[in-house]
Amino acid sequence: MFMATIILILSTALFFFYVQAVCQKILRRKFEQEFFLAIVNANRLEFPAVRKSLEDFDVPVDYARLRMMLKCDFLALTYLLKNAANAGRSFSHEERLLIYYFRFAFFSLVMRHLLRLREKPAVLKMTAILQYFANVVGQRVNAVRFGSLTASDYLLNL
Amino acid sequence: MRELAGSLMSSELLKYAFQYGGFLLEAAVIMHVVRSGNFRRLAGPMVYVACILGVGTSRAYVIHHFGLKSSEYGYFYWTSDAALVLAAFAVVCVLFYRASAHEEKIWSFVRVTLVAVFLGVLAFSINSLLSHKDQLFTGFIVEFSQNVYFACLVLITLLYILMQQLGNTDDELGFLVCGMGIQFAGPAASLALFHLTSGEQMVRSLIGFIIPVCTLAMLVIWLYALTRQPQTAVDASLARGLVAWPEPAGDLKLRLR
Repeated sequence: MFMATIILILSTALFFFYVQAVCQKILRRKFEQEFFLAIVNANRLEFPAVRKSLEDFDVPVDYARLRMMLKCDFLALTYLLKNAANAGRSFSHEERLLIYYFRFAFFSLVMRHLLRLREKPAVLKMTAILQYFANVVGQRVNAVRFGSLTASDYLLNL
Repeated sequence: MRELAGSLMSSELLKYAFQYGGFLLEAAVIMHVVRSGNFRRLAGPMVYVACILGVGTSRAYVIHHFGLKSSEYGYFYWTSDAALVLAAFAVVCVLFYRASAHEEKIWSFVRVTLVAVFLGVLAFSINSLLSHKDQLFTGFIVEFSQNVYFACLVLITLLYILMQQLGNTDDELGFLVCGMGIQFAGPAASLALFHLTSGEQMVRSLIGFIIPVCTLAMLVIWLYALTRQPQTAVDASLARGLVAWPEPAGDLKLRLR
């Protein structure tokens, strides 16, 4: 009985650990260049600034504003992922998994705030997911040639 | 009454969907590996997938002939389950070999550890059988399967840690290990629950969902690892600039500007 209880608890914990490990492995994908910069500039996304302020200064942040910034960036990027240079107009399997992972991280951020725990790990996780999304969008847009227009020129003229 | 019948029907349909979806995915993974000429490199995991496919189709055949509630199906189910966990243990050994073959010292230590773990699990399960001699199928095989699954789960976690320590850059192996981790964690947890609740009907139904879902998750992760390409596919017509880009939704349009 005791052994079965231990196995149940550990196995359940490890199940979620491996799901997270798969997400982390997808996020570790190397892109040929930093495609996300053009997308961030064209759409005035705020997650790089959030990450920089947390990594460099580690100052306490305005929680309500931070939440709003990350949520808005997430909405913009998921829209672009689905519609920008995407023939199928749908998310791929790994994008769908990362969207769930972002939502889980967002929930974790809310819980950490309520329990007065450190919010930094959850925020960094969310910015990593947003950077991946921006890189994917940037790579797709970069692969499309519109005369002399660059990716950021195109996005600014939308 | 109609609601209950409806929910039972939908849960049966879902079970069939998982079962036949699993068969298709297993066949697709094997076909892909054979066609891409990677079978030699991925022989261990592919033999395991072939075992899952073989056991799944044989179980369907036994149900068709003897019925779901027959004792023949019960014996066949638990015997094939024990065979599957042994195959799973063999795959774990293969993955350990792939991760540490180039480090002779580590591999010789790992080899001894794997043998010791297997013998330990066997001894633990036989000890349990001796105290419940009349329960070979209901007691021993369930406990043996649960213990081997859990041992595999612990070993695969140790392999994951070993890969981090060795700075292993084999991305494909990383995904294979994560897939196996999910495949072992679900059944280990559900079999432990089965053991704790003495096989209640609700838990049996739950296991009927959890195990195929975990297998499906493993196959999807493996297929992703084997088929993923560094570049994202872009529609050819878009690449030629022939198709208009979509108009953003109102609130997003404002944001994009």
